[in-house]
Amino acid sequence: MLVLEEVHKTYHMGETEVHALRGVDLTIEDESFVVVMGPSGSGKSTLMHLVGCLDTPTKGHVIYDGADLGALSSRQRANYRADQVGFVFQKFNLVGTLTALENVELPLLLQDAPAGVARDKAAHALESVGLKSRMKHRPSKLSGGEQQRVAIARALVNEPRWILADEPTGNLDTTTGEYILGLLEGFVGEDRSVMLVTHNPEIAKIADVLVEICDGQIESLTKKSVKQVVTS
Amino acid sequence: MKLNLWKLAANNIRSRRTRSWLTILGVLIGVTAVVALMSIGSGVEQAVLQQFEDIGYDILIVTPTGDEGSSIAATRNAMMAGMGTEMRGSMRPATEMDTETSGGIFDPSAIGQSSDSQGTGEDSTVAGQMPFAFSAENVDPERLVSMVPDVVQAGNYTTAVMGVEGPGASGFLRVSTPSASFLQDFPSFLGGWKLADGSGFTDVGINQVVVGARSADNLGVNVGDALIIRDERFVVSGILAPSGVAEEGVESAGEPQTGLARSGNTVLTGGRSTTILTGLTNTDDALFVLEERAAELWDDLGVATTIVRVAQGADIDASRNSIETAMSAVGTGVSVISVAEMAGSIQSTLGLIETVLACIAAVALLVGAVGLMNTMYTAVLERRQEIGILKAVGATDGQVLTLFLIDSGLMGLVGGVLGLGIGAVLSFVGARFVGPMLGVTTFSPLFSAGLIFGVLAFSFILGGISGAWPAWRGSRLNPVEALASE
Repeated sequence: MLVLEEVHKTYHMGETEVHALRGVDLTIEDESFVVVMGPSGSGKSTLMHLVGCLDTPTKGHVIYDGADLGALSSRQRANYRADQVGFVFQKFNLVGTLTALENVELPLLLQDAPAGVARDKAAHALESVGLKSRMKHRPSKLSGGEQQRVAIARALVNEPRWILADEPTGNLDTTTGEYILGLLEGFVGEDRSVMLVTHNPEIAKIADVLVEICDGQIESLTKKSVKQVVTS
Repeated sequence: MKLNLWKLAANNIRSRRTRSWLTILGVLIGVTAVVALMSIGSGVEQAVLQQFEDIGYDILIVTPTGDEGSSIAATRNAMMAGMGTEMRGSMRPATEMDTETSGGIFDPSAIGQSSDSQGTGEDSTVAGQMPFAFSAENVDPERLVSMVPDVVQAGNYTTAVMGVEGPGASGFLRVSTPSASFLQDFPSFLGGWKLADGSGFTDVGINQVVVGARSADNLGVNVGDALIIRDERFVVSGILAPSGVAEEGVESAGEPQTGLARSGNTVLTGGRSTTILTGLTNTDDALFVLEERAAELWDDLGVATTIVRVAQGADIDASRNSIETAMSAVGTGVSVISVAEMAGSIQSTLGLIETVLACIAAVALLVGAVGLMNTMYTAVLERRQEIGILKAVGATDGQVLTLFLIDSGLMGLVGGVLGLGIGAVLSFVGARFVGPMLGVTTFSPLFSAGLIFGVLAFSFILGGISGAWPAWRGSRLNPVEALASE
């Protein structure tokens, strides 16, 4: 279970303070497809970064299975990112000098997995996103949709409990976007959840939990299972 | 994991190919300079020390100082004589010799040469009369052996420049007069006394001369030919094998009529080390007449230098004091210098030169290191997004740091390997072509395992250190900010 308690995040951009999150409280059950929606600059990506341990809250707590993520050391946060979450970004964020297969292997090898095991798992992950024939290609030789599938394979390969996807379909055409969403939807299941950040209302339709956020605060929280709308 | 980081690092180097090569070039130039200068330096040092070793560290050189002047003046006189006829005309009195020429360097091949040592600068002096350098008396070797317990062997050796007429040429040459026992006891002092042709001295009763390799060429003589040495007819009984010591200076051997009268250590442009190198065991430009014979023919050979061998294990300094005391007791002032002292003096001079060269090379290397740091710093800036990706998929700060350290270390190592190779080639070329120009041919550059592995390890570490700060900065990047960069 993921719990956010009175979470604030403030960035400093030069001398300006940017309040990205202003007291967010949120509880999310496991095995959910969570969609976070909101306009640009509303703080939705920041929320995802905190859940993914890419950043720490300025105030408040992000608690995952009882552990306060903000209290973890730099190394523990790295381990959390390696074991518990997989990221998918709008701009794919693949390492340009590595092939698709090598990109997918990367999280495993950083965890000291034996090379053979890493290779097999990475190949399997790429196969599961339909890229068996494109494994040896560098990102620059792949289409946007293919690159995003490589990114999803990379996110999947460590068998994480969360996939955190930030506008994963933002750079893709509709058909490809739907394919990608299908992959993410299929991931949700036994002890596996997805948090997807978007401003596309269409995507919100497939959410188990819809978090609408504006100006750093949760505007509404909709949970499909209980059909309950909480308005702040 | 480690392997993958190596691969990532190598990929990164490849992806910025031109800049990587330029960076490597900077390191390469520095390493090349270090390798070439150090290998040549240690090669020269080894060659010089080998010559001293060939002579033997149990050898002391005793020079009578006479009534006037100090032992230093005597040493200067001997040295000045050793400078030979090429200095004629411009030679100054011994007391005016500058310190560089006399600064502790002693040239055994010059020992006992008496001609010109008064600095008259007139050729007639050389050609004709042999004036005394100073009014000193020769040391009696047998007496010295009996007086000083540590001295096991002693022999006298005199050198003078004399007019020589050969079948092919004539001129002034250095004539050394070792005794028969000297030849037996101290062959190392005459380059091992290796005969290329003939039999050496066979009879004290007849005029026999053994000719150095180059002198034989210049004079155009073979074994059995006749030579006129200061109006006396001699038969060439042997020709020595080339000593392997460099040709002297720039003067060619082509004009023996005028240029023949060199004295074996006359490389005036080559500096002190060159003089010693060519002088110690250079028998090539000399002629040898047995002392026993010379003494009968000429009575103005000048003061002999006494070469002394001390007992095995004897304290050189103590022996030296004993000799000075014993000789002083019988009224003969002497100056004593050991081969070890001479070697030490040369070694410290060479050491100084090597240090200066190493410092210059180190500056080149430092410039390369700064270039490497610059490249790495730029690389970290350029690769911020990649750092963000790595962190997002679970890389720790340490792994990011290691990645960049390997990256810069690899560039350092490649620069080191290439620099080692190019430095080696350069130093061999240097030894082959530059050496002869300086009058130093008998050395090859020395590549110790220490130098090779030291350079490789150093260049890798240098690369690592140069990359350390940029790498540290990279590892500390906030992943969110890093991912946001274009």
